[in-house]
Amino acid sequence: MKLLLQPILTSILAGIVILLIPKRFRKVTETFSLLTSLYLLAASVKIFFNSPVNVGYLYVDGLSRFIVLGIGFFGVIATLYSLRFMAFYKEYRSYYAYIIWTIGFSILAAISNNILILIAAWGFLGLTLYMLINVGGPKAAGTSKKAFIIIGGSDSLMILGFGLVWFITGDLNLSNIKIAIDSSISFWAFLLIAIGAFAKAGAMPFHTWVPDTAKDAPIPVTAFLPASLDKLLGIYLLARLVLNVFILDSSTNALLMIIGAVTIVAAVMMALVQHDFKKLLGYHAVSQVGYMVLGIGTGNPVGIAGGLFHMLNNAIYKSGLFLGGGNVQYRTGKSDLDSLGGLAKFMPITFCSMLIAALSISGVPPFSGFFSKWMVYQGLAEKAKSGGVLWIFCLIAAMFGSGLTLASFIKLIHAIFLGKAKDSSTGQCKEVLWSMWLPPAILAALCIVFGVFAYTIPLKYFIAPALPSGLEFIGTWPSLKATVFLIIGLGIGVIIYLMGNLKGIRETTPYIGGEEVDSDMRLSGTEFYRAIEEMPLIKRLYAKAENKTFDLYEQGKRFVFFFIGIFKYLHNGILSSYLVWCLLGMMILLFSLVR
Amino acid sequence: MTRILLPLFVVIPLGAAFLNSLIGKRIKGFSDVLSAIATCALACISIYSVFIFKDTGLIVYKVGGWIPPMGIAMVMDGLTVFMLVTVNLVAFLISIYSISYMEKYTEKWIFYCLFLLMVAGMNGVIISGDLFNLYVFLEIAAIASYALVAFGTEHEELEAAFKYAVMGTVASSFILLGIAFLYSVTSTLNMADMSLEIAKGGSPRIIMLVSVFFLMGFGLKSALVPFHAWLPDAHPSAPAPISAMLSGVLIKSLGIYAIARVFFNVLGTSPQVLSALMILGVLSLIIGGCLALGQWDFKRLLAYSSISQIGYVMLGIGLGTPLGIMGGLFHLFNHSIFKSLLFLNSGAVEYATGTRDLQKMGGLREKMPVTSSTSLIGSMSIAGIPPFNGFWSKLIIIAACVQAHHFAYAVWAVLISLLTLAYFMKVQRYAFFGELKERLSHIKECPFFMKFSMISLAVLCLAGGLLLLPGVFDSFLGAASDAVLAGKDYANVVFVAIR
Repeated sequence: MKLLLQPILTSILAGIVILLIPKRFRKVTETFSLLTSLYLLAASVKIFFNSPVNVGYLYVDGLSRFIVLGIGFFGVIATLYSLRFMAFYKEYRSYYAYIIWTIGFSILAAISNNILILIAAWGFLGLTLYMLINVGGPKAAGTSKKAFIIIGGSDSLMILGFGLVWFITGDLNLSNIKIAIDSSISFWAFLLIAIGAFAKAGAMPFHTWVPDTAKDAPIPVTAFLPASLDKLLGIYLLARLVLNVFILDSSTNALLMIIGAVTIVAAVMMALVQHDFKKLLGYHAVSQVGYMVLGIGTGNPVGIAGGLFHMLNNAIYKSGLFLGGGNVQYRTGKSDLDSLGGLAKFMPITFCSMLIAALSISGVPPFSGFFSKWMVYQGLAEKAKSGGVLWIFCLIAAMFGSGLTLASFIKLIHAIFLGKAKDSSTGQCKEVLWSMWLPPAILAALCIVFGVFAYTIPLKYFIAPALPSGLEFIGTWPSLKATVFLIIGLGIGVIIYLMGNLKGIRETTPYIGGEEVDSDMRLSGTEFYRAIEEMPLIKRLYAKAENKTFDLYEQGKRFVFFFIGIFKYLHNGILSSYLVWCLLGMMILLFSLVR
Repeated sequence: MTRILLPLFVVIPLGAAFLNSLIGKRIKGFSDVLSAIATCALACISIYSVFIFKDTGLIVYKVGGWIPPMGIAMVMDGLTVFMLVTVNLVAFLISIYSISYMEKYTEKWIFYCLFLLMVAGMNGVIISGDLFNLYVFLEIAAIASYALVAFGTEHEELEAAFKYAVMGTVASSFILLGIAFLYSVTSTLNMADMSLEIAKGGSPRIIMLVSVFFLMGFGLKSALVPFHAWLPDAHPSAPAPISAMLSGVLIKSLGIYAIARVFFNVLGTSPQVLSALMILGVLSLIIGGCLALGQWDFKRLLAYSSISQIGYVMLGIGLGTPLGIMGGLFHLFNHSIFKSLLFLNSGAVEYATGTRDLQKMGGLREKMPVTSSTSLIGSMSIAGIPPFNGFWSKLIIIAACVQAHHFAYAVWAVLISLLTLAYFMKVQRYAFFGELKERLSHIKECPFFMKFSMISLAVLCLAGGLLLLPGVFDSFLGAASDAVLAGKDYANVVFVAIR
């Protein structure tokens, strides 16, 4: 009891204390925030090792315990990174207070067993997200509004879903609930709650707030919320529904798989054509959710484990990518791929950590992303045993998406770190301070560790205990051996390369027809996939996407404003017509009540 | 001895209004102080009466010592106490706010006279145990509010007040007609006595006809669609404290309270009437919510939003289940807090910038930190974001709809809550966040008294959820919903208390 409540109460109080510390003691506030987040990490480690705990309305089991650990970990990463990145921000007190509250309430959401507590914590996280996006300044105001309408709106749908759950079972504790999806009410209950989870995690069609947020919010906020914490929570809720609360039927599973597959492909296609690296990463944050939903949608242990593992990996490499990108923006002040380039020399640590994270997200072995995608594929193969053709399409979508992810990261890495800058301003760049390179470096290291030692660390301690039934693999991937072979192979390749070419290399500036190429002709990464954009059908789809035809938010707005137009037309301000309404209303009441 | 408290709710504001009209004009600042003291006293007594009610139960005061049903009675039950606290608490904070805000108008003492008369009328409606007196007090409050809407005496204010007066009078006439019919059937005006007479049966069609009159009359006072059209003109045109008063408490005490009292305790509810209430509620919910989203005038947006939120209250009460009535009443209390707060915010913005057009604002957060953070709290409360009070009441209403098998209503309640969030996000986006306009670079935060009221209301928004705590719930919210749920049993309890 005390174990679970203490970190939450502490975070609430610490947030209030931060707001009360006078403004001139900036260092005190920052240190205090860092200490609080470290304390919360320690508390979550303690919860991790003392689970399972069940105190009625709060409980921790195999699934929530590693989520709690992840929340604590990313909280520290975000706070540490913010110390430097947010150093010139004026309203820093409310910023840190919201960060600390976000950590506390995320833990509360993950450990709550009572539906009411879950809804309240979940809803409050929407508010902190809104306020944290607003830290981005006046230009973020529109984005924060949109994000909060989507998140808050899906929260209210979720409330209705939980209301239906309560209606069906009469129970408010999740651990007592087990509903088979056999009637339309139970199906809607599942779907409405899942919408809450989708919007939080950023699955289609509730994803549109993620890329916008990535563009306008400060980088640590993006790395902290849409990239890591919101994924953890959204997918946690989905997994909780699928594993414990509902017994899914095959059509619901199929629905989840379709949502997952569509999300993967559509979002990665959007990512491919972005020119702003923050927005590019934002679309990938959406695309990766597809794998998690797909994995969970397969409904078999391997697939669900793959989805959960992918969630963990995604949180790690995606926040690593955002933070690395933050370093680039911090030094150059730019986030436009067209005007960056050649930074690998000046920012080696950032480069290496971003490269590792990019390889991991693209599913290159032996990094962690490969392993979890591999598990999702196995889940699909398992699904194939029960027949049907859906799994083939999902598998194709997943693999195709993986390829495109690699393609877009080649573009990203090339445009930022390799090649040559358009102007000379990037020349004076140097590596950032330790408090900024350390977080992405830690995350990159985790990408390697979780890939190479997948069986021995993450799967054993985090993922396998989360599943009620055990975990069995169809095809094993001996990650450690494979890594050794990979390294040996790469080593041999390098040796061959060096032996053959060591003397034959001559470096020179590029030239055409004897003339030196001027910088306009230089190959920027952004042009890599112009050919895809120009394909006839795809071109039209992109144009529609640009017009927000596929944006549920914009379409909903258009729909509602159509009715508003009608209502406004009726309210013409003329007294006599208003009196006629009263009369009509009374007549209708008379006819219906007095018979 | 505690009975003497009951008439005080009418006597204090009425006496203060009288004194104000005698002295207020001559001594500067007198009316400010007098009105603040009077409303403060009222708020204190109303909160004190919560504890008294907890100890003694229902109290009847016999006016002039005449025994009801011959004489006039004042009755204080759970619902009365609940409404008295709501009205007087808000009235006190608004009175404080007016000290600074009304500086820009001339003839402040007239404003205070009308304001206090309105409070007297509302308290009278709530505490009266007699249907005709309820009507009299209702007219006092309504006529004072017509005058207050016109207080600015500009073109827009006068037009709005005229519309309001005409429609309000139509409603009042139907209410009076309904009372006359009831009198002809029951030969009494005391509500408890009337309830007993009606329970004996006979002439059910006249009772239904009266129900329709009351639905229209009180429905217009509480701005239920399609009787709502006066509100979007009247509420924005009044001075901000009065808008807060009108939206915050007037439509509830004259409308919702009267409906709850008359239908549940006097006429008795039937499934048809309840479903009519729910349909009116849902219509208001939808149309008010949609129109609010389409507004660019800050106060007009808030006015439409009041229609929508009254829809929630009506929907909850119309469900007729314990959970629904409790949720509806809770939302009524919460709405009076956050809607007053938001109207006071809009007043503060207008005070500083001189405009109500959201498109001409922007970035006020930097210049007006108190107004902007309190308005954020108000917006979050009304949009139903935890941990603020509106979240809990909406949650209860949605749960009650589901529990009563009214899934369609539950879906509407949820969808409109999404829309509510959307239009308050619009307010936040255009007024407080976003770029600071060049024209507004010199504005200042509003004066102390205005800040005081806004902060107090914001704190109440934050603390509102605590009313659901076990110990607190029974003596306030639980007592109110029990009073409504008692239904026709009201009469018996009142007669026991008379003896």
